Amino acid sequence: MAEPPKLRVLMVSDFFFPNFGGVENHIYYLSQCLLKLGHKVVVMTHAYGNRSGVRYMTGGLKVYYVPWRPFVMQTTFPTVYGTLPIVRTILRREKITVVHGHQAFSTLCHEALMHARTMGYKVVFTDHSLYGFADVGSIHMNKVLQFSLADIDQAICVSHTSKENTVLRSGLSPAKVFMIPNAVDTAMFKPASVRPSTDVITIVVISRLVYRKGADLLVEVIPKVCRLYPNVRFVVGGDGPKHVRLEEMREKHSLQDRVEMLGAVPHSRVRSVLITGHVFLNSSLTEAFCIAILEAASCGLLTVSTRVGGVPEACNVLPDDMVVLAEPDPDDMVRAIEKAISILPSINPEEMHNRMKKLYSWQDVAKRTEIVYDRALKCSNRNLLERLSRYLSCGAWAGKLFCMVMIVDYLLWRLLQLLQPDEDIEEAPDIFLHHHGEKIN
Amino acid sequence: MDNNFAGDSNPRPKWRKVAYGGMQIGYDDNYTDESFLEEMVMNANVVRRDLLKVMKDSVSISQYLCIVALVVLVWVHTLESSLDENSLLLLDLSLLASGFLILLLTEEKMLSLSLLLRYLLNISFFTTGLYILAPIYQTLTRSISSDSIWAVTVSLLLLHLFLHDYSGSTIKAPGALKHPNLTSCISLNASVVASVFVASRLPSRLHVFAVMLFSLQVFLFAPLVTYCIKKFSFGLHLLFSFALMGLTLYSVYALHKLFFLVFLFLVLLVNVVCPYWLIKMQEYKFEINGPWDEAKLCFDITD
Repeated sequence: MAEPPKLRVLMVSDFFFPNFGGVENHIYYLSQCLLKLGHKVVVMTHAYGNRSGVRYMTGGLKVYYVPWRPFVMQTTFPTVYGTLPIVRTILRREKITVVHGHQAFSTLCHEALMHARTMGYKVVFTDHSLYGFADVGSIHMNKVLQFSLADIDQAICVSHTSKENTVLRSGLSPAKVFMIPNAVDTAMFKPASVRPSTDVITIVVISRLVYRKGADLLVEVIPKVCRLYPNVRFVVGGDGPKHVRLEEMREKHSLQDRVEMLGAVPHSRVRSVLITGHVFLNSSLTEAFCIAILEAASCGLLTVSTRVGGVPEACNVLPDDMVVLAEPDPDDMVRAIEKAISILPSINPEEMHNRMKKLYSWQDVAKRTEIVYDRALKCSNRNLLERLSRYLSCGAWAGKLFCMVMIVDYLLWRLLQLLQPDEDIEEAPDIFLHHHGEKIN
Repeated sequence: MDNNFAGDSNPRPKWRKVAYGGMQIGYDDNYTDESFLEEMVMNANVVRRDLLKVMKDSVSISQYLCIVALVVLVWVHTLESSLDENSLLLLDLSLLASGFLILLLTEEKMLSLSLLLRYLLNISFFTTGLYILAPIYQTLTRSISSDSIWAVTVSLLLLHLFLHDYSGSTIKAPGALKHPNLTSCISLNASVVASVFVASRLPSRLHVFAVMLFSLQVFLFAPLVTYCIKKFSFGLHLLFSFALMGLTLYSVYALHKLFFLVFLFLVLLVNVVCPYWLIKMQEYKFEINGPWDEAKLCFDITD
């Protein structure tokens, strides 16, 4: 008989498979590695189209696609108390001990964290993005984050810049915030067995074509580089509102044969696009932690990136060895591309890949996250009154509003307990898939 | 918590601000270095303001308030029939002439004769058009009750005052940098509609024409004239504003004592209390910049 899992974790976020992105991949890979370490992981997210209900993914990962409709940018409609019954049911059924929420922009995550705290579970939050402080959207988002993190046990950020940003936005004490970076699946992102010839140098760009990801910088940089180097061609993968500007740029400078636009690239095909190239170009204007750069480095491509956000921390291996950084200015980026092209002959993709395997691995991330969970479980239990005092410090008016919200949540929870006592919720059996065969506990 | 064994034979290596390579030996993941928040910059772009300068700048606002108050006074007197249509027409002509004179005097570039003739032609078109359309304005709101008209007029004027562009000139003055934006267009429209509503309550067609001409002249051209005066000489601007304030206060006092008190209170609020309040609030300003900010593009995106 298999021993009972040491930790039982519920990952909550609006962003999960079948969507593809940094947060989604992070949750998936982290869950897989935690499962291999012997813990139990359950994921909760909102329904994607027809994909609703309970699904099982690789390794026995159970995913609850809660039938709530997303309303803007894949986030659920915020009905502050609407998710309480379903969250309570899932937490009781799976006998969860730690709830781990992802991404500040996900309303489902904030609501689940709030309900989990009300019911006395331990809560961990991971922030994946950088936000500003000045515009109306950011101010609102930061206040919501302050509320969510007022009573949290531990928090995780994906880079040191992200840690500074989160601490400033939420007023959390820095000792509570752990820095655990993302990693890359080096088994999937292997370099090509035969390196493409360097007669024609291919520069690959794969990103969403939006303002935030620097699509406008691309529009300025590509014609300049094509003029300077007749043997360079570009491959642009990804789609978005700035697609039109790139097409216009192609026509204006007659670069149809030198700039190839692939449209949206599904995640499974990203590697095959990357290995056709020699250099990877990332022009984003802000980035908490750029996984795309790691994927490119793992495939043996030399990276040219803008020096923003958390990128410098992730890429300073040896001076200008695996990555060339530039300011988000077209001329500086052209200079960086020139430098990259000049050091291209000395690059060995296999050696780069092996180094990446040592520097970044999801198993390491999972082990460090385990430490955070253990630390969270050691935090003392607090009753309602003690927790309310933490919310009061959020602001003169906001503090009192948050206290009211939490009191109502507590009362609703007690009401639910009266209507459907805890003992009546059926507990789900644990199913483990080991290498030696299936053992049902 | 950090396990730092003092006197250990292998001192732990220095902490580095990097993300690769796994956990750093001897340091927990929540270790906070002294370099934490080192690159944060506070209040980099905040303008330090001086009380006297803010008070002098607020004179533009109270000047415009006085202009609008004078317009309302003329409307009230016309509606009470204490001002007849001939004196109104005389007022219009004199305002037009004086406005033109001021523009001519304050413009550094001498206006050529052809430009002057073109202006005169435009003005005559405008006036003729207004005269022809006057009967329409007169019967426009016949079916609406007077109370609704006064309520709508007051709210439109308040909207006009809120959204008005106090630093600009409403219509693009020669040499002005700012193009009119959305809020200044909305405020201009609000004032024009308010004048139409008031004009529609008047007895005769000539009354309607005179009041419409007066209101449109003031709302369209007064900002331009005051902008030119301010550009020409700040001292003249201050003198003009104080003269206007004096005239307005006197006229309002002659009309109704309560309104006089309210108006005086408003002028003091705008000129004295609000600047002081603004300076007091500046100490709470907390602007945060750092490496997490989105990079600003140094070039303009031309579509």
